[in-house]
Amino acid sequence: MHDVHQRIGQLTRQLHDSLNGLGLTEQLKDSVEELPDAKSRLTYIARLTGDAAEKVLNSVDQAKSLHDEIARETRRIAELIVKDPVAAVAKGHVMNFVTHVEQSSKAIDKHLTEIMMAQDFHDLTGQVIARVVSLTTTIEEQLVQLLIETAPAVSTKTTPVAERQHALSGPAISPENNPDIVTSQSQVDDLLASLGF
Amino acid sequence: MATELRFLVVDDFSTMRRIVRNLLKESGYAEADEAEDGVIALGKLRASKFDFVVSDINMPNMNGFQLLAEIKKDEKLKHIPVLMVTAEARKEDIVAAAQQGAAGYIVKPFTKATLEDKLNNILVKTGLK
Repeated sequence: MHDVHQRIGQLTRQLHDSLNGLGLTEQLKDSVEELPDAKSRLTYIARLTGDAAEKVLNSVDQAKSLHDEIARETRRIAELIVKDPVAAVAKGHVMNFVTHVEQSSKAIDKHLTEIMMAQDFHDLTGQVIARVVSLTTTIEEQLVQLLIETAPAVSTKTTPVAERQHALSGPAISPENNPDIVTSQSQVDDLLASLGF
Repeated sequence: MATELRFLVVDDFSTMRRIVRNLLKESGYAEADEAEDGVIALGKLRASKFDFVVSDINMPNMNGFQLLAEIKKDEKLKHIPVLMVTAEARKEDIVAAAQQGAAGYIVKPFTKATLEDKLNNILVKTGLK
């Protein structure tokens, strides 16, 4: 039993020395500290994709409703024209129909634009996903390097740890209570105006 | 209201390039090309005539700040207004963009009205409209 404890102690010391020797202690610490950030980034992705889906479905519902109404009105006006073409024009049914179609078309176009704008989640979540992938890759590389260094001498070839590059911060995940981050376009405009732009 | 102005839309995400191009088209600016990073954008800007650049910041190879700097130090390109459309919401990035000569700054996600508003302001200010 004493021998087992002694061997565990030696392994622990070896692991500690290897981490320090490789400079991995700090790197692993940094990576682990970034994990809660990764969690909030994934929550952000879930929220953004959920919001986008909601927006698209709402716009589709409204556009379809307008489309159904146009179809119904078209059938109705067609019946009126077949029945009495002169009366259909004279009583203003045709003109009312044309005005109605024009207004509905504009409204449908607005919904289509909203559907298009909702696709911006692809860009924003894509940037966030890239950061989370980068973090997991860093942790994986550090752990693999650690395994290689502490394993019995078979191969000592190591994979270089990916260089961290995040000079730019990407989408603001939790901008609340952070005075260095703007939360709306009006804040951007105010900031630029204060600089004379 | 169609005009002859030619736009270059720079963004590493094809979805966003498509959205911006569609919005420009809806605003009457159908003449637009696109580039997926600063290097490709700079090549296109030097190869043919563009009147306006709408650029993202966070891109591979050459980011929006580097592209802006290259445009502003090039005698033949420096007159072209550059509107930054980006997810970078830090005040220091906004200030840096303004100091480097960006004509405007829009934070993603944005609305059609915001893009039209900034575009019109810049076009009027630069005499392009």
